[in-house]
Amino acid sequence: MRQDTTRQCIIPPHVLERLLESDDAAIRSAAMTTLLTTARLRGEREVRASLVRLAATGQGRRTVFDCRKSTSLPMCSLARSEDGPPSADLSVNQAFDGLGSTRQFYQDVLERNSIDDRGMRLDGYVHRGVKYNNAFWNGQVMVFGDGDGIIFTDFTASLDVIAHELTHGVTEHTAGLDYHNQSGALNESMSDVMGVLVKQWSLQQTADQADWLIGADIFTPGIGADALRSLKAPGQAYDNKLLGKDPQPAHMRDYVQLPDTDDGDNGGVHINSGIPSKAFYLTAVEIGGYAWEAAGRIWYESLRASTATTEFQAFADTTFSKAGELYGIDSAEQQAVQAGWDGVGITVTAEPTTMRGSAAPTGTDSVGDVLRHLAEMSASIDALRRDLQGQAVGGGRPAPPA
Amino acid sequence: MRVSLSTHGGLAAGLRLGRPPSTVDTSALTGAEAGELTRLVEAARTASAREGTAEGVGDTMSGDAMSYEVTVDTGIDRGGPVVLRQTDTSMTAEFAALLRWVQQHLPQAGA
Repeated sequence: MRQDTTRQCIIPPHVLERLLESDDAAIRSAAMTTLLTTARLRGEREVRASLVRLAATGQGRRTVFDCRKSTSLPMCSLARSEDGPPSADLSVNQAFDGLGSTRQFYQDVLERNSIDDRGMRLDGYVHRGVKYNNAFWNGQVMVFGDGDGIIFTDFTASLDVIAHELTHGVTEHTAGLDYHNQSGALNESMSDVMGVLVKQWSLQQTADQADWLIGADIFTPGIGADALRSLKAPGQAYDNKLLGKDPQPAHMRDYVQLPDTDDGDNGGVHINSGIPSKAFYLTAVEIGGYAWEAAGRIWYESLRASTATTEFQAFADTTFSKAGELYGIDSAEQQAVQAGWDGVGITVTAEPTTMRGSAAPTGTDSVGDVLRHLAEMSASIDALRRDLQGQAVGGGRPAPPA
Repeated sequence: MRVSLSTHGGLAAGLRLGRPPSTVDTSALTGAEAGELTRLVEAARTASAREGTAEGVGDTMSGDAMSYEVTVDTGIDRGGPVVLRQTDTSMTAEFAALLRWVQQHLPQAGA
């Protein structure tokens, strides 16, 4: 077997590409396996030197750091580790527990091993900045502010917020959805979807029992807002003099055209996410029961099958296709997916317009599927390289730039 | 001198959408406060040039990172107002110090 692999590697790429177009399924399969093996070996050569250390520090181990109001993450100090005792600091423990619940959800429900599906460490930073009204994913770690105490309180208080940020990492390591316009709105929606699913799973709530809110626990009491966003009712999470009105649309006819700039929220990534989020809610309620079981699986597999530039229509088509693959053509689940997208003004078509393969390679894959496999592997290698570079700078732990 | 701050993006981006910048008017500051602000602005400008985080250049590609734009209008600068823009994921210590000072002196911090 090893001898075969070595021989396959010396075949010129242009010959392999020709073989991928062969009428013989066995030849196509062999050519694709060779291309994948070549790409894998190339990636291994680039990162092999650091793999031992990565493996030793992986397994999705959690570490929480206390920034003590600093914005410089390398200056933050260790507050709790996977094997260490609980902290006296509530925020530290909430971040630690939230990361653990999210890790468990991905493992138990979606069979995913941490952010990168390779046991990537989960590093959380709390007490970032002074009165900092935000939480974010910086490409390597999750960061949480304390809130200003006027509008927001501790951002580790909502499990769905923690799961939202961790899911940005999952998206980066799968579809890598560009953080602009519709692909960015899908990126945000996916984080909201997984955020509410982790909360529902943690509470063992069915779709009709859940509140479908993101960030219900990070507003100060009496602020007069239900949450940051509602997947059940986008546009209705808050409406008061201090905060204004929730700007999320729930239907394509209300899609908000915003410039792809900072002040336009990169084309409304946090705004138009309401549309696919509502489609997910409608799908989950139509299927009934636990939303993470069928609807969650369909959305997750569709994320894995998407690309950086996937937009609403293509994603809708992919969910429809995945529902058919997972539960059968014209199954109740597939019909629910179709009805869910209909409810937000998107009509699914029979074939996904842009989709990459997520299943194991087979002799029936198209050339496009093969190339997408290679692109996915290349993206994974790039992400791994970034992780390793960050760890090298930080002396064994990520050293984020801010 | 007038110093204004625009804040965009973040997990709560919807709350910030379309909000006008908040402004600090240095005429209401003491001499010591105005001097401190001038020092912070110069330090942030120098650090931005040194770090390559030039005016108008930021990194908002990461999920939910916020961006900040500090505009300093001295009224006498031939080049017009100075604009410094950075993000949560690419912020110099000097810009962070300026941002913190501005936020502390704004009439209403907001979201």
